Amino acid sequence: MRTSWAPGIHFARRLVVGLAIAIVLSAPALGQRVRVSGVTDLSFGMLAGFQSDQRQSQSICVYSNGQSSGYSISAWGSGSAGSFELSNGLNTLHYDVEWSPVSGQTTGTNVAPNVPLPGQISGADHQTCNTGPATSASLIVVLRGVDLAQAREGNYTGSLSLLISTE
Amino acid sequence: MKSKANRYAVISAVGLLSLLASPVSAATQGSFGATSTGSISINASVPGRVRISGLSDVDFSNVDPSAAAVDAQSVCVWSNTSTRGYSITATGSGTANAFTLTDGSAPAVPYTVEWAGSSGQTSGITLAAGSALTGQTSTAISSDCTAGPAASASLVVSIGSPTLQSMTAGVTYAGTLTLVVAPE
Repeated sequence: MRTSWAPGIHFARRLVVGLAIAIVLSAPALGQRVRVSGVTDLSFGMLAGFQSDQRQSQSICVYSNGQSSGYSISAWGSGSAGSFELSNGLNTLHYDVEWSPVSGQTTGTNVAPNVPLPGQISGADHQTCNTGPATSASLIVVLRGVDLAQAREGNYTGSLSLLISTE
Repeated sequence: MKSKANRYAVISAVGLLSLLASPVSAATQGSFGATSTGSISINASVPGRVRISGLSDVDFSNVDPSAAAVDAQSVCVWSNTSTRGYSITATGSGTANAFTLTDGSAPAVPYTVEWAGSSGQTSGITLAAGSALTGQTSTAISSDCTAGPAASASLVVSIGSPTLQSMTAGVTYAGTLTLVVAPE
């Protein structure tokens, strides 16, 4: 036996289901985020070899929460217009930057100053690599033998910045 | 009260020493966001270095003993020091590094070595075997003079006429001359 208010309950039930669907549909998409961490200062020390390239690499953590875990990387140095240059106050020493989306690498794709390198995929499971792989990319800095052969005596310093962007 | 102040002073001093002892790290880690930026410092030390190149063997053949035999060659000496300075030391293959030539049996004959800090010279400062000539300055831009001036110094080797006249005709005299360049 149906009561007189049964249609009202039915309507209310439909309304609740409708609201639930509406809530699900209107939930904002989780914003895509990236993070770079685990970078460390880099020292070539007192250089001994001047006829060949001198390389320093470090494995770092780059995390991207996008569906494809994609990101792009841009780099700039402390030289003029972001160029990759070290300075001793009087003279400069050029260096190259290479990038690999895989940790533990000593070579990678050459990165030009302020020019994004797209299409990188992160293997990190956590934004600071606290779980999963401890690192997910390789940063390589190269002092070219051709530049070292002409380098003037001195202590050269500079900074290198990395910008990771979502893709 | 005084002991408390002293304690703070000790603590502050310890803290300061700790800061001084800690390696300075300029590395910054990125934050979690639509973009993330990290940065590192890079340093490298380049020691003072020099290079001598462009040397050629000296061959005095069928020389006229009535006049000194002179061979002048322009060479490349490069220095990367702030002053581009260098010193040069020459040693011969004779006894006690003497500048002498020998045929293996006859008495050794002496020769002289001169150095000029610019290219294209036919005379220079006379070098003493094993003694450094200091205060030289290079104009070379590249370590092998492939860029900038093609040469930056002159090496002059000569045998005096009296010495030539003491040498036996048809006999080959030989020796080696070694040049050591050091940064200054």
